[in-house]
Amino acid sequence: MTKAYLGIDIGSISTKGVIIDEDRNIIARSYLWTEGNPTEASKNVVRELESQVEGQDVQIVGAGTTGSARRLVGAMLGASVIKNEITAHAVGTTHLHPDVRTILEIGGQDSKIICVSDGIAVDYAMNTLCAAGTGSFLSSQAHRLGVEVEEFGDIALTSKKPANIAARCTVFAESDLVHKIQVGYAREDIIAGLCNAVASNYLNNVGKGKKIAAPVVFQGGVSKNAGVVHAFEEQLGMDVAVDPDGHLMGAYGVALLAADAGPIAQAESGPFVSGTFDFEAMLDFDFKTREIECQKCANHCEVICVYRDTDIIDSWGNRCDRGAVKTTA
Amino acid sequence: MAKPQALIEQVRSSVAVEFERRHAPTLIADRKAAKAARHKAKHHKYTKAAFFRYCYYDPAFKFFCEQVLDVDYLPLPEATRAYGEVGVQNSSDYVCTPFKHILGDFAEALDLGADILVQFGGPCRLGYYGELQESILRDMGYDFIMLNFAHGIQLGYLGWAKEVLKTVNPNVDVPHGVVKLKAVAKMIEHLDTLRDYYLANAGFEVERGVFDAAWVSAMDAMRTCLDERDINQAYREAMAAFRAIPLHKPADPIRIGVVGEMFTAIDGRSNLDLDQKLIRMGVEVHRMLNFTNRYLRYNEPNLRVGAKDYLTYDMGPTSTLTVAAARKYAAEGFDGVIHAKSAGCTPEIDCIPVLQKVSEDYHMPILYLTYDSQTSDTGLDTRLEAFYDMLAMKKEKNK
Repeated sequence: MTKAYLGIDIGSISTKGVIIDEDRNIIARSYLWTEGNPTEASKNVVRELESQVEGQDVQIVGAGTTGSARRLVGAMLGASVIKNEITAHAVGTTHLHPDVRTILEIGGQDSKIICVSDGIAVDYAMNTLCAAGTGSFLSSQAHRLGVEVEEFGDIALTSKKPANIAARCTVFAESDLVHKIQVGYAREDIIAGLCNAVASNYLNNVGKGKKIAAPVVFQGGVSKNAGVVHAFEEQLGMDVAVDPDGHLMGAYGVALLAADAGPIAQAESGPFVSGTFDFEAMLDFDFKTREIECQKCANHCEVICVYRDTDIIDSWGNRCDRGAVKTTA
Repeated sequence: MAKPQALIEQVRSSVAVEFERRHAPTLIADRKAAKAARHKAKHHKYTKAAFFRYCYYDPAFKFFCEQVLDVDYLPLPEATRAYGEVGVQNSSDYVCTPFKHILGDFAEALDLGADILVQFGGPCRLGYYGELQESILRDMGYDFIMLNFAHGIQLGYLGWAKEVLKTVNPNVDVPHGVVKLKAVAKMIEHLDTLRDYYLANAGFEVERGVFDAAWVSAMDAMRTCLDERDINQAYREAMAAFRAIPLHKPADPIRIGVVGEMFTAIDGRSNLDLDQKLIRMGVEVHRMLNFTNRYLRYNEPNLRVGAKDYLTYDMGPTSTLTVAAARKYAAEGFDGVIHAKSAGCTPEIDCIPVLQKVSEDYHMPILYLTYDSQTSDTGLDTRLEAFYDMLAMKKEKNK
């Protein structure tokens, strides 16, 4: 019997999950669309992971969650580690690539840059007010052009003369794009131009003022797009590595953190109550989130309560202790 | 030649006309209005002054209103989202966030019965905001007196004294007011010293919540002060209470300096309780930016000398303080710096490239935060948590 750890990264667009063994090797991986339903998506991910380790003598003794729905899914899983995605990505990537100096990451709604020195993150930046040049922008433009976003990269690489597309802002980029379509530019040139725009937007906004040193690792969903990788290589003048598990790096990182934290010893309830992860327990329960407007003072905080069937298992959003909701499980 | 009788008549009539001209008959309606005005002046004087919410300076504002202006002070309750929205709705979308917060506060104060609003202007666009806020509030239908210290600024203290006498209270005892104004300055210094101690140590209290309780009672004590002696006494007691709190502070804790714009970097409501969030993570927080350092002891040219590798000219209201503080923290080996500003704050945007240079030279990460009138702090929590993790891992590695 081997001990294993589960890591799940629930992003705005996709949900990623891995199971790692005690030697920190990935033994099961899953990548599914979140489709606006993080609880269902993470159940599906867990189901898929379970089918991959079925038959092997594996016991999951710890779990971690990251991504924008980490708190919710962490409560569902009874996770021992709930970490932000920046730390998770840094931990995962530096473990696989100990010599990495710069991590570029473009996800569905956000993008970040992490500078690494001697295997330790020393600086980072994340997009703030604007989601220009992220995965969701690319997929909406793919829809406009009538191609699947997965084909984007290969089409872009066939272009000889990429169109010049204004990169500063999504709104301008889009009107520029429409104009270029209407004057009859070739589709591959437009798509290649779009990939260049994403890369230069990233370097001018998120990467502004940061020293980008080689070796560079590019990850997140957009790293699967060969056109953007090529654009980065051209604009940076250096090789950009893309790990085959690059899209799973957040999940991998948080699984590593869970492994560092060790097995969950005493869970009072939830899937870890017996010491090892009980797949059935999690899949059977019905998880719901309800928002309660606290009436204890004039601020009316929105308190978010997570229910497992009828039990409240976690709550957050209150600014003070008066709004604290007791867990009933 | 006219007859004597006619001449007399002519003189008499011209005198009568002149008399009528000089003493116009008062209409009954006018007389009533004058009486009502006298009554109002006697019984319905404008006497309740309110400031907007600003950090922890509420005791100083109270002392200023009661002791210097000699009017009642109307303290505002805890901020709520409802009035925040009033501020947002009645402001231009592109104006900086402090404007929206202040406007909401003023509307709330007027609803609660204030009739004097005090706006002290500021060293940037904030200096123009009083005027604009006054006209917006009047358009909304409120009636009030605005004491705007952006007026009279050319003449300094003399101009402000004239402004006070003209608008709020013509009967202010000027020598008395000057003495009390000195006490206000003392109180601000004491409040800042207390806050500095709190920020540096509250993250390491053994029992959670003790520091906050001590802070609240210190503020309460400050609110009841009547003169400089009371203020010194309250300060001594508060400081003694702070020092008596047991701490488990590591020898080398994570130290973060907060720099940035006057309002957002200090005010808890504007920065979604940045101080509290950092303290709860167990961080020693430092912030050079406060009233003491920006107004009472501000010497811009000399401050710039310390950061002369980065600054040649004065770049704006708090720019020198921002860069000088960041450089000082970097030189002292702080783990990181957080730069907080409201969206569209031009002077602080200008500081960012300079801060990036400081960050590069000293290998010290800087987290840049931009705030608008948002209420959700999920994104902020993620960034702060990641920043803390990064600093903690770096520290662990360098041990």
